[in-house]
Amino acid sequence: MSKPGKFSFGVFVFVTLFLHIPLAILVISSFNSSKSMRWEGFSLKWYHELFYNSGPLWHSFWNSIIVAISSSVVATVIGTLGAIGLCWYSFRMKKAIQTLTFFPVILPEIIIGVSILIFFNKIGLSLSLFTIFLAHVTFNIPFVLMTVMARLEEFDFSIVEAAYDLGATEIDMLLRVILPISMPGIIAGLLLAITLSLEDFVITFFVAGPGSSTLPLHIFSMIRFGVSPTINALSVVIIVGTALLALSSKNLYSSLLKR
Amino acid sequence: MRKNYGPIYVGPVAFWLCAFLSVPLLITLSYSFLAKGLYGGVEPHFSLAAYRSLFNTAVLKVLLNTIIIAVLSTALMVGLALPTAYYIARSSQKNLLLMLIIIPFWTNFLIRIYAWITILGSNGLLNSFLMGVGLTDGPIQFLYNRGAIILVIVYTTIPFAIFPLYSTIEKFDFSLIEAAMDLGASKTKALWKIMIPNIRSGITTAVLFTFIPTFGNFAVPKLVGGTSSWMLGNLIERELNITRNWPLASSMSVVLTFVTMLAVLFFMRSQNKKEL
Amino acid sequence: MRQTGAAFHQQRVDSVKSSQVTVENVSKSFGDFSALKNASLTIAKGGFYSMLGPSGCGKTTLLRIIGGFETPTEGDVCFDGVSILPLPPNKRQVNTIFQNYALFPHLTVFENVAFPLRLKKIAAAEIKRAVQENLELVRMETESKKYPSQLSGGQKQRVAIARALINQPRVLLLDEPLSALDAKLRQHMLLELDAIHDKVGITFIYVTHDQAEALSVSDQVCVLNKGEIQQIGSPAEIYESPANEFVARFIGETNYIHGTIAAVTDNEHALFDSPDYGNFTIYLDKKVQQGSKVALTVRPEKIRVAPEKPDNLPPDVNVLHGVVEDMIYTGFQTKYFIRVSKDKEPLIVFRQHVQYFMDEKPISWKDKVCLWWNTKDSFMVEVSK
Repeated sequence: MSKPGKFSFGVFVFVTLFLHIPLAILVISSFNSSKSMRWEGFSLKWYHELFYNSGPLWHSFWNSIIVAISSSVVATVIGTLGAIGLCWYSFRMKKAIQTLTFFPVILPEIIIGVSILIFFNKIGLSLSLFTIFLAHVTFNIPFVLMTVMARLEEFDFSIVEAAYDLGATEIDMLLRVILPISMPGIIAGLLLAITLSLEDFVITFFVAGPGSSTLPLHIFSMIRFGVSPTINALSVVIIVGTALLALSSKNLYSSLLKR
Repeated sequence: MRKNYGPIYVGPVAFWLCAFLSVPLLITLSYSFLAKGLYGGVEPHFSLAAYRSLFNTAVLKVLLNTIIIAVLSTALMVGLALPTAYYIARSSQKNLLLMLIIIPFWTNFLIRIYAWITILGSNGLLNSFLMGVGLTDGPIQFLYNRGAIILVIVYTTIPFAIFPLYSTIEKFDFSLIEAAMDLGASKTKALWKIMIPNIRSGITTAVLFTFIPTFGNFAVPKLVGGTSSWMLGNLIERELNITRNWPLASSMSVVLTFVTMLAVLFFMRSQNKKEL
Repeated sequence: MRQTGAAFHQQRVDSVKSSQVTVENVSKSFGDFSALKNASLTIAKGGFYSMLGPSGCGKTTLLRIIGGFETPTEGDVCFDGVSILPLPPNKRQVNTIFQNYALFPHLTVFENVAFPLRLKKIAAAEIKRAVQENLELVRMETESKKYPSQLSGGQKQRVAIARALINQPRVLLLDEPLSALDAKLRQHMLLELDAIHDKVGITFIYVTHDQAEALSVSDQVCVLNKGEIQQIGSPAEIYESPANEFVARFIGETNYIHGTIAAVTDNEHALFDSPDYGNFTIYLDKKVQQGSKVALTVRPEKIRVAPEKPDNLPPDVNVLHGVVEDMIYTGFQTKYFIRVSKDKEPLIVFRQHVQYFMDEKPISWKDKVCLWWNTKDSFMVEVSK
């Protein structure tokens, strides 16, 4: 087999460095005792600042957690049921519903943010953590749906027919066959939804009310109004946190698949 | 014969997406054809004023800037991603190299933008360095222009080009390249004439996945762009939250949706052609 | 062996709860496509009944109607004279073996077989006993802790059978159950299915596109094509006296000779006149009149071939002469393509190699040969006036 050439190797190295160097700089400067970019000695003071002196940041962090968990649980329930229906049943309007589920994935986030804001305004719903929850469920549903559907498509519809043939009612079938076999997909979908919700800035930006800041909104205002190196420390915590989460969920997922 | 439970399963999805997606989009569409209210909102009579305002030179300038940024960033991303994905797909350490690309992607989107601010900002690393070695006296403004926007968009979005390209190149049968070389083609020529046409679906996916989020980008120009380098997203936000001209914000959203749909249709057509 | 098996079987049938299945004028259409046209058949209590035909012939549709997965557009299906159409599949006392086994991937072999009993909330000890018994029936008792992904194709098949039988259905439906297995395993499983059928004594309805499978195990075979029943009969009837050209061609290889009835000589014989093959006597398996246009079918193994016409041929044979155009040697036999008529396809003839060195004189390409067959070995498949 022919090996890739020098050119592609060069571009690969360039892209990898390009992706990593800015983050490496963030990590290094989080340990810098100076407020500027000039190195003035090792210090953990920004971490201290982050953990003991950043009340509003932690408040918005907990908001993010509340929204992420509630919205992804709701999106997982709705998305899983939808995936079962779309994968294994046929009925009127199926194509239309299928197309509708692609919209939140394809449309630029700002469109969803703007239109849902206009909608909340129209029906007179004042912006709060609840409106963020509604918006997050909306954009999370398709991602859960696709993940669960990918799992269901590995199986043939005949196992549903077999269950029915052997005497199962619809509820038996759901609880004893469909949910157990799609569990890896459901868990993957849930984790994906949590990540997307924790990560979302643009849509949340439009539907957040006063006092309902989430972590990304708080980071945004930190960047815009007064950069403090605390954000460097926060970045490192987030990088490490996501890496740990991603690795453990990957392990969890593959152990589920092994069965 | 048993009952068809399909509608029961799909009911919640259909209800939720109709209520919180279709209806909002339709309301936005209808707002774009109404007159603007005095303090935000709309007056309930038909008007094309919002669409006429789209042809203001100020709006057209922003639109042009958006197109330039989207086209340049997409070209840059696909251009860089193609050799990168090729290298990963041909390597014996595929998973490791893929992880190298994925790990930075796990970091929060805003923090990835912020990383560039710490480098390019007036108190940033680059200016500290330049002033330290005495190349300049005062800080140079690297941020808040079109170049900075393109740089940061490429930085935050390029994995969306690498992944689809990687997965198609990985499936490509490289014995075809050997066959072409056996028949007298140079390696470069073989890659260009044989591999590129066969990974077209990956290339169109990469273009779609980078063009759409770039064209509708809002956060990047908001944080590293200046008033002179605004994109459509910034204009929509201003009309919505500051100027409070909701019909105009709606009409611009309609344009953005329209461009997105065009891109998707183009994509689906090119995918269908491939299947024939 | 089947004969004695059948006698033993009949005794079992009377003691086991098994059903006679009748299908009355059943039609099924999907939109404009008519998958099944006015099908009627009766399946004996405890029988092994095959439905045979190419893909899309309607056999699976008929099976799914009996199983309760499709509703017929017209007609009725009865078990022992009582319509089952109003019943959902889980109330029909019929179970299905699916083409790809449809084992639940998240359950062990034991739990797969126990599944129907768990649904009925039967006591654990009773479940254990019943599952054990059924796993022994299919010789899978040692694999009960494995998951389906750890089993071979044949083992999955056995688990599927054990699972389908645990509800003690009166009828078992088998939808191409062997198609996912390789050829050797297929034959083995076929014998095993036959043995299981003898043991449990319930009605088996077996759907397949493979004629060898259908002929080897069934009591009755129903041949379908394009949604219509072509012929119902015992395997030998289907093979030896096909009702029409489709059945003759679908089951085994055959030769066709077209011609007209020149004269009906007596109750059993007629003089046949073929423009391509000449005149000869045929046996009348159907009533025909003088002047009818007729197609004869002769199976290739019924035709004998020799370099020269033997002297001692019996009187009731038909003799033709031809030239070997092509031959395929397959070890135990050789298949000859012998050109008799310039305008027609060559006739196909099988010659078994009973003894390698002692075989009659070798026959090779371009050789002139003599062909003959017993008049009783040809059948009329298409008769028109």
